[in-house]
Formats: sequence, C-alpha cells, structure tokens
Amino acid sequence: MRRFDRSTSLFMILLFLSFLLATVDVRSSESGAGDSLRSLAQAAFTPLQKATDTVTRPIVGFIDGVANLAALRDENERLRADLRDAERRIQDAAALEARVRELEAMLNIDVPGDFATVTASIFAQGATGFDHVRIIDKGSADGIVVGQAVIDENGLVGRIDLVNAQSARVILITDPSVSVGVKVVTTNESGWTSGQGFGPLTLTMYRATRPVVEGDGLVTQGGRFPPNIRVGTVRNTATLKAGFQLVTEVDATADFGRLGLVKVIVGFSPLDVIEEPAGPQAPPITVPTQEPVGVEQ
Amino acid sequence: MNQRRVGFALLLVVAAVVLQTTVFAPGRIYPWGYGPLPVIIVVIGASRYLEPETTVALGFTAGLLMDLLGGEWLGLWAGALTTVAYVGLRLVDEADEGALSLIVGVGALSVLAITLFVLAGTLFGRQLLSRNNVALLILVPSLYNVVIALPTLALTKKLMKGRQTPWSAR
Repeated sequence: MRRFDRSTSLFMILLFLSFLLATVDVRSSESGAGDSLRSLAQAAFTPLQKATDTVTRPIVGFIDGVANLAALRDENERLRADLRDAERRIQDAAALEARVRELEAMLNIDVPGDFATVTASIFAQGATGFDHVRIIDKGSADGIVVGQAVIDENGLVGRIDLVNAQSARVILITDPSVSVGVKVVTTNESGWTSGQGFGPLTLTMYRATRPVVEGDGLVTQGGRFPPNIRVGTVRNTATLKAGFQLVTEVDATADFGRLGLVKVIVGFSPLDVIEEPAGPQAPPITVPTQEPVGVEQ
Repeated sequence: MNQRRVGFALLLVVAAVVLQTTVFAPGRIYPWGYGPLPVIIVVIGASRYLEPETTVALGFTAGLLMDLLGGEWLGLWAGALTTVAYVGLRLVDEADEGALSLIVGVGALSVLAITLFVLAGTLFGRQLLSRNNVALLILVPSLYNVVIALPTLALTKKLMKGRQTPWSAR
C-alpha cells in the first residue's frame, strides 16, 4: 500500500508538472523557449529517424505496394488518361504562353527570375495524427530558416516553423493555427484560408464584391508566402452573408497524405515577420506586395 | 531497482516514438489517414515489470518525448501518459495475464490517453475538441493499438521479464 502511496504522490507531482509545462509553453510561445527544446529533441532524434526511414522504406513500400495492387491498376489507367489530356493541353499551353509573353511585354511587367529553392525529402512526421507537421532532411546548414514557404508539385504545402542544422519542421496549411492570405484567380479578390485539422480548408473573405464559384482557383496573395502559388480550389459556391462575410470550403491542391519530396523556397523573404494570431478564425497578417508574378514550381 | 530493466523500458519508448514518427506516418503504414500510437502500449506493457514510481516516471518521459516531437503544447501528452501509466498500474494489480484482458486494457487506456490529450489541449486553447474528425482521431489509433498490442506486449515481456519477477507478483 505504501508503494502505491508513493506512486500516487509522484503521479500528482508529474501531473502538476505537465500542466506547468503547458502553461509555460503557452506563455513563452512568443519567445520560442519551447521551440528551442523541440529543436534540440528533433536534432537528437533526426539520425534515428533518418536511419529508420532508410531501413524501413523498401519494406514498407513493398507492403504498401501489395496492399494497393488494385489501386495501382486504377491509378495506371487514370495516369494514361491524364497523359492523353496533358498532351492536348500542352498544345493549348504553347499558344497561351506566346499570348502571355505578348501581354507582359505590353504591360511592361518586370518578371523576376525564379525564386531559389532547396529540394528536401520528408522522413518523419509529428508524433500523432493531431500534429500537422512533417520533418524534412534539410536544415539551417542548407539555408533553411523559419518562415520559408514549402511547396510540392501541386502547390503550397506549408511553412518552416522549426529548424536545426540537419533537419527542419514544416507546419502544414491544414493546421488550424496556419492562415494563408489568398486571392481568387478569377476575380482577384482576397481573403484567407485556414486549416481545420482534417478535410478541406476554410476560405474567409470580407467585403467580397462577387461570389466565389465551385472550382475557382486560389493562389497565395504574397506577404508571408511568395505570391501566386496554388493553394486550392473552391469546393462550394458561396456568396457574402449579411453583406459582410463570405465563408466556404476549399480543397487544398497539395496531397498531404502522399508528400515525399518538397521544395523550400529559400529565395523569398517573408515581408511580415510578426507571428500570426493564434486560432483558426484570426485573419492573417499580410503586407501588400508588388503586382503578383508567376512562380515556377 | 533493476537499472537494466529501466534502460530497456526507455529503449522501447524511444523505439516506439521513432516508429510512430517514421513508419506509422502518412505515405507509409497509415491506413485511412490514421496510425497507431505504440508508445502507449509500451508504457502499459512496462507497467507490469517496473516499480510503480518508475512506471509513472516512464509515462511522463514518454509523453514528454511525444510532446517534443509533436506540434502541440509541451506537457499535454506528458500529462496524458502519466495518467495512463498510473491507471495502468492499478489495473495491473486487478487484471489477469489473459490476452483478452490485455487487449481490452490497451484499447481502453489508449482511448483514455488520447481523450485526455484532446481535453487538455482544448483547455489550453488548441481547439482539438472542435476538429471535425476528433472522434476518429481518438478511436481509430486506439483500434490500431489493439491490433498491434499482442506483438508489442510480447516484445516488451521478452525484454523485461525473466530479469526480475514482476513487482505485482511479489
């Protein structure tokens, strides 16, 4: 009985310590004291995680392949259809490219070169499904710093929120604490998306003069993220409610379940370095930038 | 206290955390968008072979590791797994060694751990409870834990039993 009494005392002390830790972490989130600890832990675990990833990748790939044979056949068929479609689109795109070059010359838009990027591989994730983070195998030694945007071939993935020498942590745009300033491609009106932790993103717009329509594309507006990176497509048509606010759902273009290789945009400095307000309802802090320009991905 | 057993327990926790963040991750073994949480099973399994105080401390350490490698506030998983270790200790005294008891225990304690994490996270403003898939985030990993419980517990037993009699049997 006495042994249980001692364990009960220890349990109470450690429970109190846990709440104290959480309180301190919340309070010191601006100074980044908790992030320093996380960075140290991640640095310590990076070699283990990389080694496990290397060793288990072929085995897991084999298991995954066997489990998904039927899905792979369907995927193959779909890719063939996509290829046919893509070939047709290439012909259309060539004509469009020529037209764009003409228009740019006419408008005298100064198109900058591509932003410099660093390609990185994802080798780990957060500890649980509640964590919308991925760990990449490039860190400060490769020029990665906190705040840089992360993209894949489909569009915006997230941004760097923790860095050590050999690895970095990417917080995904599906995380409820992440907001992205966006504009609707067809109307050029701006708003912001925020993650819901699962499923589609939420698009919020104030004082929009026109409705958003299902299938409308959204791109980054600039500010924290480089401009004109694809973010998602509007899932449901929506109009302004009470003449003030428009809210609808957006399907992110990035496939977060299949992230493997990503690119970190290191050649772009976020204009605002102020942390976004916490909470999914808070609007992002964005600073108006130059006229949006294309980004090669 | 047998230092070797504590060492093995810590090793298992580290291994479970590494597996949890690499193998049971999106793009790997992550069926239907969810993965198991083997750290919880290790804490439950180790509670059968460690001193009560050590078990509670192991729960705290395992939770803190998950916090450090996760994206939520520090201390949330630490509190949840400390509680699971403590409740696990009480159950170890009552439960038999049968596979069914172990599986039910792992399932129930996994649900308890994740629920406590969600509640504590919500208390600290992370809105975990309002996520639209929160029920699945609690139930599916717990179900996966049940599926992998027996091999994980068997490994824990193999490493830790035989070096010293379980404290509860003394």
